[in-house]
Formats: sequence, structure tokens, C-alpha cells
Amino acid sequence: MTAGPVDDEALARCADEPIAIPGAVQPHGVLVAVTEPGLDVVVASANAPALLGRSLRTLAEILDVDALARLRDGLTGELAEVNPLRVTVGGAEVDLVLHRADGLLITEWEPVAGAEQAGAVWHRRLPSVLQRLAASASLEQLSATLARDVRAVTGFDRVMVYRFDAGWNGEVIAEARREDLEPFLDLRFPASDIPAQARALYTTNWMRLIPDAGYARVPLEPAVNPSTGRPLDLSGAMLRSVSPVHLEYLANMGVVSSMSVSLIDRGRLWGLISCHHYAGPHRPSVADRTAAEFLGRTASLLLRTVVAESELDGVVEVAERAAELSAAVGRTPRALGAALTEQEVTVLDLLPAAGAAVRLGGQLRLLGTTPPAERVTQLISALLDAGVSATDSASARVPGAADLLDTASGVLAVPVGSGDFLAWFRPETLREVTWGGNPYESKVAQTDAGPRLSPRRSFAAWSEIVRGTSRPWREHEVAAARALAGHLAAATLNRSEEDNRLVGALQRTLLLQELPKVPGVAMAARYVPSAEDVVGGDWYDLVLLPGGKLAVVLGDVAGHGLAAAAVTAQLRHALRAHLLRAAGPAAALSLINEVTGALLPGEMATVVVAELDPRTGEVIVASAGHLPALHAHGGGAEYVAGGRGPALGVLDAPTYAEARLTLSGDDRLVLFSDGLVERGRGGLERGLAALSEAVVAGPVAPEPLLESVLGALAPPNTDDVTVLALTRS
Amino acid sequence: MLFVVERRTIAGRAALTVRGELDLSTTPQLEEAADEAFAGPDAELVIDLTHTTFLGSSGARTLLGLTRRARSAGVRFHVLAPHSNGPVRLTIDLLDLGAFVPLVSSASEIRSTVADRDGGT
Repeated sequence: MTAGPVDDEALARCADEPIAIPGAVQPHGVLVAVTEPGLDVVVASANAPALLGRSLRTLAEILDVDALARLRDGLTGELAEVNPLRVTVGGAEVDLVLHRADGLLITEWEPVAGAEQAGAVWHRRLPSVLQRLAASASLEQLSATLARDVRAVTGFDRVMVYRFDAGWNGEVIAEARREDLEPFLDLRFPASDIPAQARALYTTNWMRLIPDAGYARVPLEPAVNPSTGRPLDLSGAMLRSVSPVHLEYLANMGVVSSMSVSLIDRGRLWGLISCHHYAGPHRPSVADRTAAEFLGRTASLLLRTVVAESELDGVVEVAERAAELSAAVGRTPRALGAALTEQEVTVLDLLPAAGAAVRLGGQLRLLGTTPPAERVTQLISALLDAGVSATDSASARVPGAADLLDTASGVLAVPVGSGDFLAWFRPETLREVTWGGNPYESKVAQTDAGPRLSPRRSFAAWSEIVRGTSRPWREHEVAAARALAGHLAAATLNRSEEDNRLVGALQRTLLLQELPKVPGVAMAARYVPSAEDVVGGDWYDLVLLPGGKLAVVLGDVAGHGLAAAAVTAQLRHALRAHLLRAAGPAAALSLINEVTGALLPGEMATVVVAELDPRTGEVIVASAGHLPALHAHGGGAEYVAGGRGPALGVLDAPTYAEARLTLSGDDRLVLFSDGLVERGRGGLERGLAALSEAVVAGPVAPEPLLESVLGALAPPNTDDVTVLALTRS
Repeated sequence: MLFVVERRTIAGRAALTVRGELDLSTTPQLEEAADEAFAGPDAELVIDLTHTTFLGSSGARTLLGLTRRARSAGVRFHVLAPHSNGPVRLTIDLLDLGAFVPLVSSASEIRSTVADRDGGT
């Protein structure tokens, strides 16, 4: 077994891999990024001359009059409708596929020769295939039809329909394969097989193809898109070169060619159609791939109704019971324990369970089959302290609970405040699970650059009898339990205490335990919570960008408490993602502003982002309604005046500006939240002046600098204070 | 320190004059008064910060929130912050509040804003 922290580090490394901007394509086609409307070449893959000719300056020179007219015509409408555009270049037929990214038109040229064609027969059958999909009464039927027809059109050796569970483990729920291959149906694959970053990409990009996993990557030239200063965004490109870790994974599985199509339900990745070819390289034509993608999209639309029908049983009943119990609580607010355990409908009737426990005002009541009373409180507090609310394997979470399998393999527990709780219990049920390879084996390889995820080498089926587990708790059951607990808390108890505990836990996850080491940069950060122990919405973050730059973020969400902390968590993660992909901090702020408006209506936040190039010292600063950053240099210190725009969540489509400065020598850049400067004597003006003086007078090294700044300003502890300093080393 | 929200009339419009420090502990009073104003018959509201001694980030957010609510309520909204009130103007400028909040620096500007608008429509 490997230790937890090593695994975490390896996972983080994998998550940092810039899969959307690999800077290279696969060799089965040519990628050329051009301007519009001029069609002048800005970036091209290194294999472009071989297909398109030596001196490639503009597409107008290589397309004939008719093709050029069709291309220009296509650009005025929906690009998906013209793809692929069949053209002839140098005597060869080529499928031209278009999309837009980074403000450029991305053209991908795939020779028709060498691609497999399903032929017109299959395409004529499409209406009946669609009819069959739509007529599926169950998920089994829908996925079986999907696997069979995607295999018929693409000709892959094996086509699987893969479904993700709540923990992102995948299960093969349907399969069509060459007869001599061993079946993968019902196999499970652990979540680490498809990293989170890849899953995020799969949610926006429906189809990926690797015709030959042994390919040599073709670099883009120039490597950096001159119009954005970053590698070209290939997240929408069909030729995108994939992660070497993924290729190693395919090789270990004996797969030579692979394709996958996303199955997406209401914006969330639900599963995949995964296609493997073992006999050799395999490239279905663009038209056939489009047909497969179309089937995947159609199935995605059907998923909701098919799955909803099969999962609906029980939901209505639970909702009805929840309503009855809530009404009982409302009728007898002074005798809640009795209301929940002694009336016609009890907490045990809320959802299918063998036993239930109610602890209110320190008094415990048990119903049905439960662990002995003296063990219940201990078990539940241990679970809740570990942050576990619902588990189908309590003994795996609480070591001392191994003797309670008969009564409490499954525990659903919800806190009601002050140590009180509601809990439900389920006994052990034995079940067999077959994994595609042993999911417990170590997958961390030591490399010169530290631990890295190494793809699994063994995929032989591996079965285990799972002991100590109960029937799992379903989402609507957990939700009903939480709702009832929330209702109880609101009816009687002071909720604030409970909330603060949760907020504290959440806030801790928002602040980095330790700053990452970045060569050439010295940094320090301090977060001082306010005295009332009410946690505010401050956060800071450091994001290493592809290309070696470093983005430093400091933000503040309006309000305090649980809601603000939850919003902060969402903003922090969304901004991270946008910084990795956007063309600079101002563009990232525009994107995050959109997210704020769409996902968090009514919320407001301020944030400042400084993007530093450690090699040159160049810094780009953009602020969304946040107090300005302080730049201290040999001659004194100044607040960065430009690069400002409105707070997030205020305007629909604001423009954010960028300010530029250079950190040279002992220059320092200080970012801070309002709590540092706002409430001292003399207000904001005096606070800003004092900060500037303290930074100029203080030591250069960030750690002692922050010590001395906090000492000099001594901000009153009525608000939380965050301050971050960096300098080049 | 004393904090009061007074109902007044400025340039012929309903106004709320904020005296004292507008911070986390006092913004609810301003919001409450504004709520009443939005619910009332007036089609226009001025928030007067001439006598506000402190405007913190929570006060700034309250102004953004009130601007948004005024828009959805169809109420014409002005925030009066004279240049002579340095501390308040500093916060407004640093946070770029003017990008969204309709700011005026004197009562006479309110009249001309309206005149411009009437002339333009």
C-alpha cells in the first residue's frame, strides 16, 4: 500500500497536466489556425506542408475557387452544419472540419484515403436505429442498442457503454464485441482510470479519437499562439494530442485504437461509449464518427426519462413520509422526540431501513433493529466527526464498529446541533463485485519529478466478495433525512452553532495548507479569522499556468457564514479552471463573472488576480472591484492604479482591464483583503497609507514582511484578514 | 458612534441621508429604509452619503445591491457622494463602484441627469 499523501500528490500532478493545450496534434490529419475573414495562417501543425504545400500563408492560396466559396459560405452560419467540408487538395480528397477557439478559426484536414467507411447502407438505416433507441423501455435496452449500432457504424472490435457511479467509478452496462474477445460486461473500472480533468473536458467535447495509440505527436508551430501568448486551446479539436499517461494506459490494455463518445445528462457527464480496436490502427471516416456522436447525443437526451422511470420507485413514498413527519414536528414543537417516534408515522418509516435512532436534547430513542443504546451515540459521533453522513460500510469508517455488521453496516446520520442527531441503520448484505483489474493495487510510480500516476498494467477481472456493506443509501433518501433534520433544527434549536462548525471545516479546505514551491518566486500568505469566529468569505489561491507563469488570486465573497463559504469554494475552483484556459487574467474574470451570474445569482464577490512570469518579472494585474494591489520597489511603493472592473456578479458582461508592471530586484507585490486596511483609526485612507509605509519599511523576504505588516497595522479583529506577499528570488 | 438614516427630500426627490459609519453592523438599517422606499409610491430615490463618515466594503456591496434592486423595481436611483467627502469617495474610486452605481457628486447633477434623459427620450 502507498501512503495517502503520496497518492494525493500524484493525483494533483495529473490534474495539473494541461490536456486542453498539449501544443501538438495526432498525425492522421493537419491542423491550421487562421484569422477571419482573411484566412491568414497563424498556427499550423508541423505536418501541414506535406499535405498543403510548402509556403502556407493563407487558405485562399490552397483551395480552389469553388471550395473557397463553400468555406466562406459555411463561415456565415452554424459551423456544425458544414462539417465536414469535402475538398480536394493536391489531388487528394480531404475532409475539412471547422470550429472556433482563441478567436481563431481552427481548420482540421483529414485525408479521406485510409479511413474506414461504413458505407451508405448503414446511413440509410439511421431512421430505424433512432426509432429503436427512442422506443427503449429500459436502460439495459437503450445501452445495448447503442453499443450494437455504434459498433455497426464504426467497425471497432469492442464497443462498451460505461456508466459512472457517484464516486466516478465506471461500470460496463452494455457491450458489443468481436466474438473471440473476452467479455467486459459488468466489469467495474476505478475512478482514477479517467482523471477529473479529462472528465471535465469530456463534458464539453463529445468525441475523442485515437486511430493509432503508437503515434508520434506533431507539434504546433509556433508553439505559442501569438494573439494570446499561450498554446492554442485544442479542447474542441478532433486531432488534439492526448496525455502520454493515457496512451500508456491503452498500451497496457492492448488497445491500438480507441474512440469515446460522451453521454451527458443535463450538463453532467453520465457515462461514455468507449470503443477499442486491438487488431491494428483503425480510423472510421469523419461521417461515420459524426453518426456515432449523433447516436451518443440522442441517447443522452433519452437517458433522463429512461433512468428517471427506473429510479422513481420509492421517491414519492419518501417525500410523502417526510411531509407527514415535518407536519408532526410543526404540531408538537415542544415534544419532538415523541412526535418522531410515538405517532403513527415514525422516523423509521421515512425510508427503507431496519432501525432508527433519534437523539434530541441529549435524550436517545431507538426504533427497530439498532446497535445497543450505549454504542449508538459513540458510533454516530465518530462518523459525523469524520465528516461521514451516509455510508454503506460503517466499519470501514469507524474501526471499532466491526462487531456491529448485523445491525449497522449501513448508517445514515444527520446532525441536529449540540450533539443531537437522527440516524438510520441497515444490516450487512453480501455482494460480489468484479473489477477490471485489482483496484487496490498501487499505481504511483516514482520519477525524477516526484511521484506520478502510472496507469494500471493489469486488467484481468478480479472479483471480491464485499463484506460489511449494506444496501447503499440513495440520493433522495439522504436528501429527505437532511431536510427533516433541517426542519427540526429550525423548529427548536439555535442553528448558528452548528453552522459555524461546518463553516470552519469548509473554510479550512479553502486555504492552502502550504504554499506550493515555485522556482524563482518567494511567497507568503496569512489568513486571520475574525474574533467572533464567524468565518468570512476571504480566499487566496496560487495557480501554476502552462507556460511557467504563476497566477496569484485573492478574493472576498460578500457575507459570512456557511453560505458565503460555500460560494467561495465554488468561485475558487471555477476561477482556477478559467485561469488555466483563458488568455490572461482579465479574460478569466469575464468568464468567472458569467459563472457567478449563471450559477450564483444574487451573489457578489471581489477578486484581484496577478499573473507573474517568474523569468522576466512581468506582472499582469486585473481586479474585479477589489482593493488595489501594492507594488513596492526601490523608490517607494504604489497602489496599482489600472486593471480595474466591477465586482463579480454585478453586471452581465462587463469589460475587465489589465495593468502591467515589472517586478525587478527586491520589488514586492502585496495583495490583501479589506479587513487589513479598512477599520483602523482614520479609515481606509489611513489604512492604505499605513500598509504602504509598513511594506516600504519592512524586510524584503515575504514571511518576515507579513509578520511586520500585521504587527504594524494591527487590524481590529472584527473582520477576517487575508494578506499575501511575493517577490522574485 | 451615532448612525442614522434620515428620510428627506433632495432636488425634489425622495432621499435617504446616511449619517455615521456605514459598515457591516449598520447596513441592515439602510437596507430596511430602502426597502420601504422601493415599496412606496416614489419613482426615484437618492441615497445621500454627504454625511457618511465611513464607507466600508460591506457598505459598498449594499450600494451595489440597492442599485440592482432599484433597477428591477423600476425606480430611478442616484447615489450622492460629494468630492469633499474624501473617505467615502476613496472607497468608491478604489472599488470602481461608478461602473455600476449611478453616482452624482452634487444635488444639481441629479436635475441635469433627469433633464438629459427626458431630452434624450
